[in-house]
Amino acid sequence: MPLTWRFLDTIEALVAALWPARWRGATGWAFLMPALLLVGVLVIGLGYMLEYSLHELNLATYRLRDEYALTNYATFLNRPVYGTVLWRTVLGSVLVTGITLLLAFPYAYVLVRTRVPWVRKALLVTLFLPFFIGQVVRAYGWLIVLGREGLVNSLLTGLGLPAQDLLFHFPAVIFGLVQYMLPFAILLIVPAITAIPEDMERASESLGAPWPATFRHVVLPMAWPGLIGAGVVVFTLTMTDFAMPEILGGGTTDFFASAIYDSFFQISNPGLGAALSMVLVTLGSLIVAAVFALAGPGTLGIRGART
Amino acid sequence: MNPVVELTRVSKTFGDIRAVSEASLSVARGDFLTVVGPSGCGKTTLLRMIAGFETPSSGEIRINGDRVDVVPPYRRSIGMVFQKLALFPHMTAAQNIAYPLKMRRFAPRVIPGLVKQYLELVQLGGLGDRRPHELSGGQQQRVAIARALVFSPDLLLLDEPLSALDRKLREEMQLEFRRIQRELAVTTINVTHDQREALVMSDQIVVMDQGVIQQAATPQALYRQPANRFVAHFLGVTTLLDGRVVRVGDDGDVAVQVGDTVLQARGVGQALVTGAPVDCAIRAERIGMAAHGQPGLDNTVDGVVLQRIFEGDRVVYVVRVPALGDAVLSLFDRDADVHETTTEGQSVRLAWQARDLMVFAKQT
Amino acid sequence: MTIHATLSTGRRRFLQWGAAGAGAMALPGLARAQDKPSEIIVRAWGGAWGESLKAGVADPFTAATGIDVRLDFTEDNEIKPKLWAAVDQGRIPPIHVNWDTTTNATISALRGVTVDLSDLPNLEGLLPLAKPTGLDGYPLVNTYAYVYVCAYRPEAFPDGPPQSWTVMLDPKFKGRVALYDDGIGFNPIAVIAGGGTFDDVPDNMEPGYAFYRKLKENQPLLGEDADFTTWFQNGEIDLACTISVNARAARQSGIAVEWTVPAEGCKVDTDGLWVPKGLPENEEYWAKQFVNFALSEQAQAKWCSLLGLPPVYPGLAPPEDLVGDPSYPTTPEDFARLVSVPSPVLVENQPIWFARFSEIFQG
Repeated sequence: MPLTWRFLDTIEALVAALWPARWRGATGWAFLMPALLLVGVLVIGLGYMLEYSLHELNLATYRLRDEYALTNYATFLNRPVYGTVLWRTVLGSVLVTGITLLLAFPYAYVLVRTRVPWVRKALLVTLFLPFFIGQVVRAYGWLIVLGREGLVNSLLTGLGLPAQDLLFHFPAVIFGLVQYMLPFAILLIVPAITAIPEDMERASESLGAPWPATFRHVVLPMAWPGLIGAGVVVFTLTMTDFAMPEILGGGTTDFFASAIYDSFFQISNPGLGAALSMVLVTLGSLIVAAVFALAGPGTLGIRGART
Repeated sequence: MNPVVELTRVSKTFGDIRAVSEASLSVARGDFLTVVGPSGCGKTTLLRMIAGFETPSSGEIRINGDRVDVVPPYRRSIGMVFQKLALFPHMTAAQNIAYPLKMRRFAPRVIPGLVKQYLELVQLGGLGDRRPHELSGGQQQRVAIARALVFSPDLLLLDEPLSALDRKLREEMQLEFRRIQRELAVTTINVTHDQREALVMSDQIVVMDQGVIQQAATPQALYRQPANRFVAHFLGVTTLLDGRVVRVGDDGDVAVQVGDTVLQARGVGQALVTGAPVDCAIRAERIGMAAHGQPGLDNTVDGVVLQRIFEGDRVVYVVRVPALGDAVLSLFDRDADVHETTTEGQSVRLAWQARDLMVFAKQT
Repeated sequence: MTIHATLSTGRRRFLQWGAAGAGAMALPGLARAQDKPSEIIVRAWGGAWGESLKAGVADPFTAATGIDVRLDFTEDNEIKPKLWAAVDQGRIPPIHVNWDTTTNATISALRGVTVDLSDLPNLEGLLPLAKPTGLDGYPLVNTYAYVYVCAYRPEAFPDGPPQSWTVMLDPKFKGRVALYDDGIGFNPIAVIAGGGTFDDVPDNMEPGYAFYRKLKENQPLLGEDADFTTWFQNGEIDLACTISVNARAARQSGIAVEWTVPAEGCKVDTDGLWVPKGLPENEEYWAKQFVNFALSEQAQAKWCSLLGLPPVYPGLAPPEDLVGDPSYPTTPEDFARLVSVPSPVLVENQPIWFARFSEIFQG
């Protein structure tokens, strides 16, 4: 008997001893357990949040009162600043998602389709490099590059042009977030494009479609699930982002996460913080659900929902 | 009549690799031409240049007499069926077939009729609403061919579309393709590594190896008069032997020495000189076998059966022949009586006619 | 079968050992609360702040006692809920000593999570500033005072230091003025700068909010301690309301920054130290020893001169560069120019001020 056969038999015997055949039906569940546990913990956490959000803070003891009340939600509704910040957050997330996808798609496409090895290598390196640099460090990097006396303004003044305010406003926040989200989006779109055989595009061309038509009728519809996935990830990450608006926004263009942070930590009001969190989670979930509903069943490759 | 496609000394290099070298060929209107060769021989590159997906490094390609070097694929009137079909998965069969009509701006009112007509041509009437993944492999083939033909292209290109099918379905589809091709009289270039497919389907066959066209001829001519050792070996089951010319007669008759034995043979193509090293080739079905004694053929040698492979309608014998320098010959036998009595290890006598032993000058 | 047998014996033996071990450890623990822990953890602010604590208090404490001191730079606002949760749930808190703003420390004291420090010997003879107001005993101890000064780039003020905080509204400084991101240190000052008086605090803050609304037109930057230094360094701002320590640190690292107390005054406040409840007895003992050490003459002198802040230990001379400096109040006249809001008022009103501040600037 060849050695490898004996080796494999031994392994099989071991597996059989550790995981008897009558347990086989549970194998799938066993692999699912860690994920289910994690999701379970998340759900429990959300439950606690909901519970917290229904109690008002007692300012005398800085504890939440025992009785249930909707005061925190009333605070959210009564203070227009929350609405303003929430609107800014949603608008920012939509902008960031749109711009990021617009930039990520061609990048991913060229990365997958290029036949020039050094182009692919360069694109890969530029894609992965940012992952080694944290969000905060990157934001501070932009402070240096885009600052009043930063690289860009030095170039401008060197060319005899007036220095520009490139930082501490909404566009700067959007810029920083797009730059931060781009690698995530590209990574999520790459497999979608890899899954489109090149012959699909050749077929379309040979059937009479110039590249723009091929893109519209073949590449885009086939990459659609990947785009939706990437869009949802970018959107939710942006919705909950904290550091970029804080640092690049100069403190006056906060996103909703900052309002939550301030409630929890600055004014030590976990009830209000929890209520604001619930608002953000609910709104985010509703938007994502709407996207999936509109993008149609079968997005994310879920079968059984065939039209 | 002008050829539909004409290639003149077309070459294609990728970096240092010469994928196609000085290829010239032409296809007459309505003909079915197959380019056949082992994988990596350059046949797919050749096809892609005709389709417009690759630009030749040198040489010229004409379609209907016009040079097409700078014409993009979508402006060429070429239908193509891809190896993996490349049906659009997000469209129904009918939408797939309508796609070229829309892209080529056919009048919207004629499109439904054409789609229906071609669905029926490929015997898929009633299945137009199905998505590709809801169709069987053979049905998908039919959609692909309907899509490639619906806009009446000047030329149909087939890039090994049958290679993924199992043998029985493949053979059915070969005949089906041939029927449709004849019915529409569409000029077709097919690419395959399957010699049987080439022989069955084609009016003309081009054999390629290492980027070079080895021979272009009708299937019969190619089989009967291969131009060289490669072509002889590529089509059919052929034994190759190293030999040396001992005598050159009139009418192409030659005598060659293989091992210790002098064999009667015929020279093919090139002029042969006495003493020159040559490749000899003999097809398995041209060798006869008898247990012992008889028959009065030009060449007779004795050997020992190494292997006996039963294939139903025939038995393949692999026979070692000491007198030919221990050469190993393959041959077929269809005589049921012989099958019963011949066993492995048994001594046998092999015999064949001089004209069946092809001799080629050694290629350098 | 074999495996099961081994396991069960093992578990029984483990339980026996566990019981014995716990007994062995508990006995001396009861006997000697002073058993030294290997280290104590002190939450601190980073940068110039942390360095001064290390050189002025932590290192000498280690030298004197042999106990390592580890500084934990968790944000003050973030450690607070962790400590509260630990005390509520009966867990051992993650730090031994919290270096905190007096306002936040008072909130924690109100919540009852702090240990009483009344028995520390070094409390004797400290300035009255050391005693927390509105609380019984010493649930925390103040360690020094500090001033939210008006820091500026001299280059931007060729005619001398700004005389009034209203200079913030000058369109010349559009986008070049900075405050803390919750307005801390400026909220009562804004009332005065906006035409009110100190007596309006906390009942009539409207003049302050009016001032903020005008200031918003001038697009100020809002940040935290570290941001001010970065902004001065990168030439992003000309003027900021920040703690003198940050401005001094910036100047000491070669950035052109000066500071002043404008006509409306500056807010003076205190920081303190406190020990969370729920520590093992010996660790609590040594945590209190650390606080006691921080109040000693030696520690106060070094720590506070490094910070450039007036200590609660009486009679110590200011660092040379701060003699006569408005940010280092020593005389009653000095204090008269500064604005001090009692802690209980801050505890009660600061959340409201923060909320209005963010309403105005985030809206």
